[in-house]
Amino acid sequence: MSDFHNRSQSSARRSDYVWQYEYYDEEEPVSFEGLKAHRYSIVIGFWVGLAVFVIFMFFVLTLLTKTGAPHQENQDSGEKRHRPGSCLVDIGSPQDENDKAFSRPLLTGPRSYFHFYINEEDQGHGKRTGNPDGARAQQGTRGTGSSGTDEMEDDVEEEAGGNQPLEGLLEESKTDGECAFFSHFNIPNFVNLEHSSTFGEEDLLYEPSVVAERRRHSRDAHCDGH
Amino acid sequence: MDTAAANRSDCPEVRVPVPLFFTIGVVSLAENLLVVVAVIRNRNLHSPMYCFICSLAAFNTIASLTKTWENLMIVFANIGLLEKKGPSETNVDDVLDSLLCMSFVGSIVSFLAIAADRYISIFHALRYHNIMTMRRTRAVLGVIWTLCGVSAVLMVRFFDSNFIMICFVVFFVVSLAIICFLYVYMFMLARIHARKIAALPASNGGRRRRRRWGSGMRGALTLTILFGAFVVCWAPFFLHLIIIMLCPTNPYCECYRSLFQLHVVLLMSHAFIDPAIYAFRSVELRHTFRKMLLCSDWKRCS
Repeated sequence: MSDFHNRSQSSARRSDYVWQYEYYDEEEPVSFEGLKAHRYSIVIGFWVGLAVFVIFMFFVLTLLTKTGAPHQENQDSGEKRHRPGSCLVDIGSPQDENDKAFSRPLLTGPRSYFHFYINEEDQGHGKRTGNPDGARAQQGTRGTGSSGTDEMEDDVEEEAGGNQPLEGLLEESKTDGECAFFSHFNIPNFVNLEHSSTFGEEDLLYEPSVVAERRRHSRDAHCDGH
Repeated sequence: MDTAAANRSDCPEVRVPVPLFFTIGVVSLAENLLVVVAVIRNRNLHSPMYCFICSLAAFNTIASLTKTWENLMIVFANIGLLEKKGPSETNVDDVLDSLLCMSFVGSIVSFLAIAADRYISIFHALRYHNIMTMRRTRAVLGVIWTLCGVSAVLMVRFFDSNFIMICFVVFFVVSLAIICFLYVYMFMLARIHARKIAALPASNGGRRRRRRWGSGMRGALTLTILFGAFVVCWAPFFLHLIIIMLCPTNPYCECYRSLFQLHVVLLMSHAFIDPAIYAFRSVELRHTFRKMLLCSDWKRCS
């Protein structure tokens, strides 16, 4: 009876395994005599190590959020006037203003990197400060990145109040040229112009894509040479 | 007999109740199937990122299905309806093992693909649309599925050779390192930019400062969950593989091996939480679910 139980137990154990191996066999007994440490020490050590690793990673990531970035010192005092604020509030602003904004070159000369953080609210108040193209591009690239990196950009959305953190990419895109920039403005992941969809708190994700589509149509005419 | 009794008493195999296996298997199967169907049905989701998420969900579906079927077979075998060593049973067992291997390898490769896609979408955002065309995505997915199928068949065919297991473990460790690097790099860039944005003065500067603290924590927490879940769910199983190869007769290793079923439950639970981490974060996908599940009038809704 016990023999049958042993056999059925061991064969049940065998069929449980993805890989069958001959080690797990009663003919090769594992001696439990003379164990110095606790018998589950590998298990405990493994899980403690794993927990330490995950917590360590969390703290490293949190530290990364606190340590200063080297680019911060490059800010002009001029940009202090700019408020990145609620860019998306004015998404619905009239086309002609934004068209004029788009006709500006994207990156000119030694302009500071922060000139891209221009908001349309300043335009609304009559101040054309800096380069709104960057803002548009940011929204586009944000729409690009956000669908794929929702979880990482969530926090930045809150901060920027709508400006996405991907403006740094504009530096890399310097070589692309203006028209290449505009025609590659498509939101690759989703272009949701369905008006039937109801938006949740991630309205911010959708607004840029809608804008980007409208912009793209106007830009296609502008950059037909691409 | 004595040593068998000693084996059983000192480090008895931890048995997971079969209903738990079934519950996790069925729920993860339903979730992942839902994701696959949602991505296929909604035309807006025919984009590279969602294709990779769909592929991950498909692999998880196969894994859940296979594991549930295997559990069913084990239950029947224990009852006595099936013969454990019969030829058809071993064939079916081999097929199930191949499918499991394929879905394991496929899940890991899908994670890699998703991380790489996100990396490209952040660091080459303006050229993303040219780099990741749908044709290339389909080609990449074809390559992934073919490779996974072939490697799974090879793995099960030659499972007794250590080389295959070493390859598998090395593959896992390398993928882990690449995924970790990609995500941490993306996170760093996002934080640097967020800091730059936050450094600009605003009328609600006080509120901004508070939000920055909270949002930094949120980003770190999200990434920790993403990566931590992957490591916590997959690493025990791979340590099991390593231990099989390295110390089959060591009593400490024996005690670790006795927890095999727990480790398999962890693997299955990763298929269970994957949609929550990857797919359900997307508003569009949640929308599609709501339409699919709650919509009674199909013509109007779809």
